[in-house]
Amino acid sequence: MGSFVKKYYGVAIIAVCLVGLYVLLTDGLHVLSEFLFPSLSVLPPLVPQYIGDLLNNLKSSLFLLIIAYGLAVVTAVAAGTLIGLKSGIRRNVTPYIYAFSAVPVPLLTPYAINVAPTMQIASIFLIWLAAFWVILATTIGAVVSIDKRYLENAATLEMSSAEKLFKVVLPAASPGILTGCSVALTLSFMMLAVAEMFGATSGLAYFVQYYADFARFDLVMVGFCFTAVVLVLIMIVFDLIKGRILHWTINE
Amino acid sequence: MFDVEFRDLKFAYPDDPGKLILSGVDYKVNKGDFVCLLGQSGCGKSTLLRLIAGLEKSNPEELLVNGQPVTGPSLDRTMVFQDYGLFPWMTAGENICIALKQKHKDWSAAQRKELALKWMANLDLDEELFDKLPMNLSGGQRQRFATARAFALDAPLMLMDEPFGALDAVTKALLQDTVLDLWSKETENRKTVFFVTHSVDEALLLATDILVLGQAPSKIIYTHHFTPETKPTRETLYTDPDVRDLREKLTRIINEEIQEKARRAKEAREKKAAEQPRKRAGRRK
Repeated sequence: MGSFVKKYYGVAIIAVCLVGLYVLLTDGLHVLSEFLFPSLSVLPPLVPQYIGDLLNNLKSSLFLLIIAYGLAVVTAVAAGTLIGLKSGIRRNVTPYIYAFSAVPVPLLTPYAINVAPTMQIASIFLIWLAAFWVILATTIGAVVSIDKRYLENAATLEMSSAEKLFKVVLPAASPGILTGCSVALTLSFMMLAVAEMFGATSGLAYFVQYYADFARFDLVMVGFCFTAVVLVLIMIVFDLIKGRILHWTINE
Repeated sequence: MFDVEFRDLKFAYPDDPGKLILSGVDYKVNKGDFVCLLGQSGCGKSTLLRLIAGLEKSNPEELLVNGQPVTGPSLDRTMVFQDYGLFPWMTAGENICIALKQKHKDWSAAQRKELALKWMANLDLDEELFDKLPMNLSGGQRQRFATARAFALDAPLMLMDEPFGALDAVTKALLQDTVLDLWSKETENRKTVFFVTHSVDEALLLATDILVLGQAPSKIIYTHHFTPETKPTRETLYTDPDVRDLREKLTRIINEEIQEKARRAKEAREKKAAEQPRKRAGRRK
């Protein structure tokens, strides 16, 4: 417990400073509009009242995020590894990767809504696409730059293709791949918010958008805070998984 | 246990086919020999080792291992790299076990671990190091694990590319003695070893055969074979007059090669410098 406090007291200090700044700019100096930036004191009573609503919306957001992000990780790592290992394929597809990945995913929203049979599938497609390009590019880069010695070592041991892939190629490329996965996760959050703002009927971004339309900025602020807490928790879980996979890169 | 035959072996890397690295290497290494390859940096010692390992492609008629052309890497030819060649994401023990898994596919994990521990003990490695990651081991321990893996695989041909080059003097001496001891213990099925080194003393101590490669495009410019009676030991390495003479001779041959290389490089630089004013004058016209 003592070491936990010692490790994270800086985080707590920054949080207190941010809250203090908000209080100063709203209740203290009245610099910010009271309508758009409600007093912090009105928010806590709203949380128990709307927690059920927030959790239902969270469930909906997580469903989209997990499916789309999970699909992106699997498809992009598989495709990126194949392209990274096969120089012939890489030579032929690289121009297309450059071309397609340059298209901003939010611009594809009208197409996704029009082509996909449901809004949910359209949302999953958009989040998947946003994460896919990042993970694909970093996976290709990571696989291409694997230290030749590891592959030669695997060759002298006559490893099978599957064993070489799972025991050598993916572990060797994992630092690069996980960096891409981390960036892609942040992009997925952003794309999730975009997707939920167009025609969705649930989700954390939908909650914020819905109450913004009714000018209930106190609830908008509750939605923001709740979303921030969820995002921080997800990133903490991601970092734990990353740390476990990359334990061999961290000195004892 | 494998003999190795070079028949006028020539080699150039595929990305620069005009630049020969090896040019007419001709020699036969007998089963169970301990061959040390000496020569200046960049002369093609490691390339020769990589060709035997099957990591580079040679003309099938020019390189024969146990009478067969080398078509690719094989578990019959284990390699010990200078940078240890351990996978950093696996524990040191797993690095041995995964190699054993390729060799003995029907063995249980317990059998593999038992053999790994046996070879760890042979290389003076504590059992508790089995679960350590390579990054948490010293350079000497890592090289011991790499050597233990190579011996555990029990390949007839062992290829060692400057394995002790990065180690301190004491660790190097201990590992030299261990390798020599493990190799010489096997009297009937003694491994054939190719050992690349820059150190004349290391070659004198370990080798049954010393091959000196000339500058690239290189070929063998000097060979020496020790009989069991004439092979130096750590005790006679600096006291035996014959060994002293041989050390001087090997050092002289290598130094002459280095000087010759430096002379050629200087000539090339001077020639290039002489050509530049003429080119500039030509452009002005």
